[in-house]
Parts: sequence; structure tokens; C-alpha cells
Amino acid sequence: MSQTIAVIGGGPAGLEAARGVAELGGNVVLVEKEAFLGGTPIREHYATLTPHFQPAEEAMGVLIEGVTSQPSAEVLLEHEVTACEGEAPDFRLTVSGPGGERVIECGGIIVATGFEHFDPGRETQLYGYYEHPDVLALQDLEAMLKDHNVVRPSNGLPPERICFVQCVGSRDRHIGNEYCSKVCCGVASKEAIEVRQQLPDCKVFIFYIDMRMYGYWENQIYWPAQEDYHVQYIKGIITEVLKKGDKLLVRGEDTTMGRPMEVAMDMVVLSVGMEPSKGTRAMARILGIEPNKYGFIEAANPPLDTVTTSRRGIFACGAALGPADLEDCASSGGAAAMKALAFLRRKPVTVA
Amino acid sequence: MPIPVQELLKKKEHFERDPDRLPHDFRDEVFALEEQGEWIVQRAPDPIVEVPTKYGYLKKVPKQHLWHHKSCGQCGHIPGYSTSIFWVMRKLGYEYNDPRDQTSCTAWNYYASATSNAAAQAAVALRNFAAAYEVGYFPLIHCGTSYGHYKEVREELLHHPELRAQVREIMNKLGKPMVMPEEIVHYSEWFYAMRHEIAALQVCDFTGIAATVHPACHYYKLVEGDAIYDPDVYGGQRTAIVTGVAEALGAEVRTYSTWFDCCGFGFRHILVQRDFTRSFATLRKIQVMKEEADPDVVLTHDTGCVTTLDKSQFAAMAHGKNVGVPVMSEAQFAALAMGAHPYRVCQLHWHSADYRPLLEKMGIDWQAAWAEFQEDLKKLESGERKFSTWDDVG
Repeated sequence: MSQTIAVIGGGPAGLEAARGVAELGGNVVLVEKEAFLGGTPIREHYATLTPHFQPAEEAMGVLIEGVTSQPSAEVLLEHEVTACEGEAPDFRLTVSGPGGERVIECGGIIVATGFEHFDPGRETQLYGYYEHPDVLALQDLEAMLKDHNVVRPSNGLPPERICFVQCVGSRDRHIGNEYCSKVCCGVASKEAIEVRQQLPDCKVFIFYIDMRMYGYWENQIYWPAQEDYHVQYIKGIITEVLKKGDKLLVRGEDTTMGRPMEVAMDMVVLSVGMEPSKGTRAMARILGIEPNKYGFIEAANPPLDTVTTSRRGIFACGAALGPADLEDCASSGGAAAMKALAFLRRKPVTVA
Repeated sequence: MPIPVQELLKKKEHFERDPDRLPHDFRDEVFALEEQGEWIVQRAPDPIVEVPTKYGYLKKVPKQHLWHHKSCGQCGHIPGYSTSIFWVMRKLGYEYNDPRDQTSCTAWNYYASATSNAAAQAAVALRNFAAAYEVGYFPLIHCGTSYGHYKEVREELLHHPELRAQVREIMNKLGKPMVMPEEIVHYSEWFYAMRHEIAALQVCDFTGIAATVHPACHYYKLVEGDAIYDPDVYGGQRTAIVTGVAEALGAEVRTYSTWFDCCGFGFRHILVQRDFTRSFATLRKIQVMKEEADPDVVLTHDTGCVTTLDKSQFAAMAHGKNVGVPVMSEAQFAALAMGAHPYRVCQLHWHSADYRPLLEKMGIDWQAAWAEFQEDLKKLESGERKFSTWDDVG
């Protein structure tokens, strides 16, 4: 029986899970398909993290250091899990990397393969992400904010008017994603504040169905965005983004006023939702764990056990389980570490 | 490691649908109901052309053996529209059935909130599908509204067993089978599928022709999943219908900011608020096209769109607005490209906006053609000819 825990995915949840296992005295192998650790915040060049505005690289650096500094943690970059044999606590996980294949013998597995941003090309509303250079997604603007270079891609000039369009790929029955992605309202508000900080003359609008500001985000970002940075929130769904001269014509319905609206913008930012990553979908197949109808990993015993999957000895955390903010990812990463180690260390019950 | 703007643009150059994320295919349910004995699924007859759709799966468009489900408005207001469809099909050598027992789909009044109920609507659709099935031909829907409506009916029938039961009762009374075609195909999808065969028989050079396209709302906004979206046209982000045909014929398709808007027809509006229709068609559509794209012709693919965009222009002209662009279907445009007679076949004399400068730009001698047409009329008036036949139109 192996005492090693394999963690698949080196994003916020996976890093926290690996750190947790190591700090609790377990052996851990962290398998990451990219050549770097940090997951989506690093790969997509996030500027800062919601809601505290810490620089993403700096914050993720702390988590990464928390794993790489552990003697009992091994990190395999550019490796992907290709097969899984055996049963808990004797899994044999085949991973493939630049040096070829390798089998990891492990007693438990933690899946932390995360999410990917909804591809606006699949949107049934007419948002023109692939048609108009000045239509961006949240992560695109993050990269610009990080670079302190928020400009219209079409002409390289700073925008005078930006709007965010909420719920792109979320809460949408046509697409099949009926769920709320939880973070987009907060991230859009955070980015709106950052745009106002970097471009004080730029007017910023957020078009929303209803703003979902969980917990403290209300005071941390929602009210400051309005009261301190004069971001304008307009209730109404946007239906079309069209090109008009050198502007983008944003059309939809102002549901407060009960009338159609048509406003010109320099840039449109689509607040794209979360979908299970290719890695998450692949792990569900390879590891034989139940996904839900959207492809995220299904927690087997909700609501009070959020990380145990349908297969004994395999746990999941972070956005592999569904839309999650960073706090949720770190929390479920820690919970998965605890559950996995407890699973390995649990003494068998003996009957006298 | 920040990324430069150019990297962002590169990422946005091309949309590729993830094959793992294809939406549910309605055809699975269509065939499942056949297995359960609920209806017969009429297969698309070979040879077929597979065309790409919005939701990523391929749609089968039969080349021939088609049952022409005609359009009330086309036959009544712009007869050269349907004649052009038939003419092109004949020139390409594909046989078809032009039925005399088709009923109106009744969708116009349905969308104008004027008539009917779900069971009656669905029964009309299935009655027409059954009529096609009984003679062994596959339905080809000329009208964009019939097409969109029938797809809505299909959705309703797929998801409501009680509706199927009601319709079955009606069909039993009519003595007709419950039939659902494997695909519901619009004529413009046939033109899209055949665009290269059409271009191969082109005799007029259209390289100097600039066109704007109005895609019909009922084609791609109702049950939009199986409308044609082609990665090679607008990057797969707008319907490729009409534009693909115009481009295959060498015309330059120019965009304009209100392309997504309705033509103004609006169903209820054309019936009870016609002034709104006229204003919308001219001020929101034609005038914007003129200002932003200055086209030689407006191409569209539905009855209401051609009539509204064409026949509304006179009112705006009276007010000195910047309008005055010929409007026609891509079927007429394709027929002209293949050498169809502008009056005998395309019947452009039914159109209101001046099409003559366009014909001149196409290299078509409209004066000679008009003289020929006048000769035809004389023969009809004198009784020398009772009616024109396909042999008379060339």
C-alpha cells in the first residue's frame, strides 16, 4: 500500500492540496501538464486576484513556494496522466512527460484540474468576439491590466468607454450552462475598478442580469466600484455587439427603464463563465469518476463533504468540482488533502 | 509574463468548435421517436451535400428529388423568386416535384398573434410533410417563415407527447401518416450547398458587383442550431447563408452595422403598423446600407424580406431619403449569373426599386430582354400562346 498522494493539477487548489499533504507529513507527487505551476491565474496572465487585488504572480508565488520547498513533495511539470490502474490504496497512475512514461504508485488521488473560460465563439447572443478586435473576454483584459496597457486592439489607443457584459456562457439554457459561474460579477467589478485606476478618463459600464456579489465582495468591490470609481451598473441583457464606424454598437434591453437601448462603446469585455477544463473532463474518463451533466466532477456526498468523489480513494477540489472562486479553491484544496491523508491513515476496524 | 496586444488578436483570429462541446443533436430525439413507433422519419435522399451548422454538426441537403413547399408571398408578390429556384434546379439537371396540394403553413398570422393553436399549427406542418412523403419526395421549404416555424413545431412535437397525440388524431382523420423529415431544409440551404455547381455554370461576371446581405430572422434566429454557419464565412460567427452564394459568384459582400436587424416586416407590423415597417426598412436598413456600404444590390433569402426591403423604398424616396437599391433573392441573383432571362425567369418587373443600372453593370441588356418579354405578352394577349412554358424561357 503506497503512502503517496498524487495531486493532478498545479493551480490554486492543487497547490494548496499538495502543500497540505506535505505539511501534514505525507508524500505527494504533483502532476502538472504545463511547464509552470500556478494554473489559470498564471497561464492567462491575471493582473490581480479578486477580491483583494494582490498581484496574481506574487500571490501564486507564495502557494508555489509552499509546495516546492517541501522535501516530501515532488513536482512533475509537463506531465499528463494517461492511465490509472488498480484500486485504492494501490493505484498505479501512468503519467507521460518529456522523459517518457512513468508509473506513480499512490494510495490516493486528488483531482485539481480546474476550469477553462467559456469560449465566446459558442455564445448564442451576437457578441462578435471573433469578429471585432475590440471585443475581449475577462482574461484578455486581465492581461492588459497586468501590462498596464489597456488599449483598443484595433487602433492601440486607450478606450474612452468600456462596458462589461455579464453572464456570457453562464445562466444560459440555450448553451446548456444553466449554472452561475459565481466569480464573473466580482471579477468584472474588480477589473472595472482597475480600468478606472489606470485610465481615469475612461467611462466604465457593467450590463448585468443581476449582480451576484457573494459574502464580503459586496463591500470589497461592488460598492467601491460605484461610490469610489463611478462604475455604472445597468440592469439589462445585451443581445448584440455590432460594428458602427470605429465604435462598437452595444444593443440590448434596459430592463429597469423597460426599453431597448443602443450605446456606442470603444471596448466590450465579455464576462465569460467557467466550464470544466479539458483536463477535468479527461480525468473523469481516465479515473472513472462521475462527472455531473456539465462535465465537472460530482461530489459524492454533498453538501457537507465537498471533495469525495464517486470512486474510493479519489478526491477532487477547486474548480474541477464546479464554478469556484479562489477562496473556495484554496479551502477545498485543503479539505481534499485532509480527506486523502485520513483515508490512507485510517486504521482498519478490527472485530474482537 | 504579460502578453502583447498582437497575441490577443491572434487568439481571436479563428473560432474552432470543441468537438466535445457540441450541443445536443435534435436528430437523436427525432430517430428515437421513430424507434418508439411515434412517427416515420423521412430520410434525405442521395445524393446529399453536408453543410456545416451553428451547433457544429453537419446538415444533409439533398441535391434533387425535392418537394417544393412554396411561399404564399413569393408566389403572390415576387413570382420570379420561385421561378428562379426552379429554373436553377432545372439548369443543373436536378429533378423535383412542384406539388399542387401544398397548404399554407399559416405561420404569418401565427407570428402576428392572429390565429390558431399549437395542435393546428403542428398538424398543418405534418400534413405537408406527409404529402411530400406520400409522393416520395423530400420537402424543400421556400419561405423563411415556414422554415423557422416548422422547426419550432418540430421542437414542440419532440418535447410534448400530448401534442403528438393531438396531432396524431388529426392525421388519422386526414388518413395521412405521421412523418418528420430527417432535416428541415430551406431553399437557400440548397443554394448554399450547390453554390459551386452554380458558379461553374456562371455566364455573367459579377466581380464588379457589390452586395449587402440581409439574413432573414426566421432563418437563423428561430431554432438556430441547424442554420448554416461556415467557418470560412464570417469566421463561423454569422450565418453563411446568402453571403456564401454571393461570394461564390464573385460578388463583393459588404457589411453594414444593422445587418442583424429585422427587415421591418415584423409580421404584426406589416399587418397593423405598416408605417413602422416602411420607416424601419428604409431608415434602419436600406439607408444605413447606402451610407455604410453603398451596394449595387441587396440580397436576401425570404419572401417578407425581399418585399419589405424592396417595396418600402418608394415611401422614403418621396421624402428625399438616401435610398434606391435593387433588392432580390440570392436565387434570382444566381439565376441571372447563370444567364436567366431577367423578365421571363427572374421577373424583375415585379420589383419596385430600379434594378436596371444593376443589370447594366452585370452586362445584361435589359432593353433587349424587355422587348422579348413584350413580344411574349403580345402572344399571350392575342391568344397565340395560352401560357409560357419552360421551353419559352430558355
